[in-house]
Amino acid sequence: MKLTDVAKVVRSKNAGPLQITIDLMFEDRERYNTAATSQSLSPANLAHLYGLRQDRVRVIPFPQALAIKLVFDRNIVAGDPGDKDVYGTQQHRLLLGVEL
Amino acid sequence: MSAVGKLHDRFGGDITGKSLKALAASGQLGYGLPEAALREGLKREPDFIGCDMGSVDPGPYYLGAGEMATAPAMTEHDLREVLHGARRLDVPLLIGTAGTAGAQPHLNKTLAIIRKIAKEDGLKFRLASIAADIPKEMVKQASRDNRMIKLGEMDVPNDAAVDATSHLVGQMGTEAFQRALDAEADVIIAGRACDTAVFSSVPNMLGYPMGPAMHMAKIIECTSISCTPGGRDAMLGTLEGESFVLESMNPDRHATPLSVAAHGLYEQADPFSVREPEGALHLNDIELEAIDHHRVRGRGARWEPAEQLSVKLEGSTYVGERGILVAGACDPNFIAALDDITPALEQTVRDLLGDTVRPEFQLSFRVYGRDGVSLWPTPPSHPPHEVFIMGECIATTAAETKAILTTCKQYFLHYGFPGRLSTAGNLAFPFTPPEILTGPAYRFSVYHVMQVDELAPLFPVAVEEV
Repeated sequence: MKLTDVAKVVRSKNAGPLQITIDLMFEDRERYNTAATSQSLSPANLAHLYGLRQDRVRVIPFPQALAIKLVFDRNIVAGDPGDKDVYGTQQHRLLLGVEL
Repeated sequence: MSAVGKLHDRFGGDITGKSLKALAASGQLGYGLPEAALREGLKREPDFIGCDMGSVDPGPYYLGAGEMATAPAMTEHDLREVLHGARRLDVPLLIGTAGTAGAQPHLNKTLAIIRKIAKEDGLKFRLASIAADIPKEMVKQASRDNRMIKLGEMDVPNDAAVDATSHLVGQMGTEAFQRALDAEADVIIAGRACDTAVFSSVPNMLGYPMGPAMHMAKIIECTSISCTPGGRDAMLGTLEGESFVLESMNPDRHATPLSVAAHGLYEQADPFSVREPEGALHLNDIELEAIDHHRVRGRGARWEPAEQLSVKLEGSTYVGERGILVAGACDPNFIAALDDITPALEQTVRDLLGDTVRPEFQLSFRVYGRDGVSLWPTPPSHPPHEVFIMGECIATTAAETKAILTTCKQYFLHYGFPGRLSTAGNLAFPFTPPEILTGPAYRFSVYHVMQVDELAPLFPVAVEEV
């Protein structure tokens, strides 16, 4: 099963110019649990997927909102020469292919 | 009596059984206001009106250049709407992060518009402005004293880096707004400010508990984005002691426990706590309950006053004059060879220009349709049918940027590479000239937390009668 089969929202945005946060949101507790318990969304696997050191990836389950928050350190500060996405809103793509 | 005086009269130091209505008119003033929702919000006779006018999101240019991101005519339109609304009801109007980035030029531009509206429309009120520019010497001293806290990979700026900033601001909290309210200002225009401070300072002044007040402020500062479906319509927050009620002023946007909880994630690295200059808001034990299909009641947030006061700093530094080169291509051999071509092309350009330009310019290429968007290594895929190539140059002067891009354009067009069939040209220009100067370029050079002993000296309040 893919993440996109259970997630209602997969969105990315800067959390300040040094970090990107990706919110995964789910319709119900069952779908949330499917994702929240999946090893595919472990910091190690996400770090591998995004080519980041593991200590630059945080995974924060937020069951109150049926959501999982991922926080990555940006490899380039938002708006620096060479940045490709000043607001950080198009950095969720790699997650769309994730198998849970 | 001033608008603030009337609030003191009504609430009189005892909030028991009294509800306080906060109208969040805009989360990004200057991009247009949904008017029906604003009218509905004003009909509810709020006790104060707040607007957020800026953010760090749009990048370093606006802070560095001292320019607004919003169009002047639209900004004036939005300011006129909220100013008239607040003066008609005679309630305080608080606007945070004036003019997109909240440094002195942004504050001055916003104040000029406010004074112009007041003069043209015959409005009289007491206007307070709060500057947010942080003296460079103070930041350098804080660096020396190890009182600058990193928020990520960005190093603590040394003296030269601090001196090089074009503008350097701090995010003010409720303390600064409090002093402007104490001066009985009817309208408060603040430089860089925490979004939450715009909506929590009046409740704080009247003695409402800070936990729920700050939590409500955090949700309504984005207006109806916390609803389903989300939108930009005005949002009413009604504070009732230990709990508060959220209601969109657009009847088709509904606050639900899930939509409001989900909003707690928005643009935040940590959904469980929010750090402010004067303390931290803890959201671990919040409860959100549906009153009906449209409204939510919230409670349970805890405010912890800081043992150490601190201010988040934002600084932007000029890096040169930017220009871009726009071109498309569909030749598969050319697209496949691009990564070999562009470094060689840059060398050719550098050799040709020689000492006619200073060598410290930057030249880079983004290939859209392939990997022009992703910040991370992307898995290889089939070669795209077409790509859009955007060359970017940052050099010391606009003339040098133009010279580099012009030379680059010509040699890119005719660059010979192994396997080339299209010997008349590699690029499709959508128009000419395809090299375009975009103006000064900046980068964020400070994004740190500075520990301070006192907040008041950092954010001076100036009062005038208009």
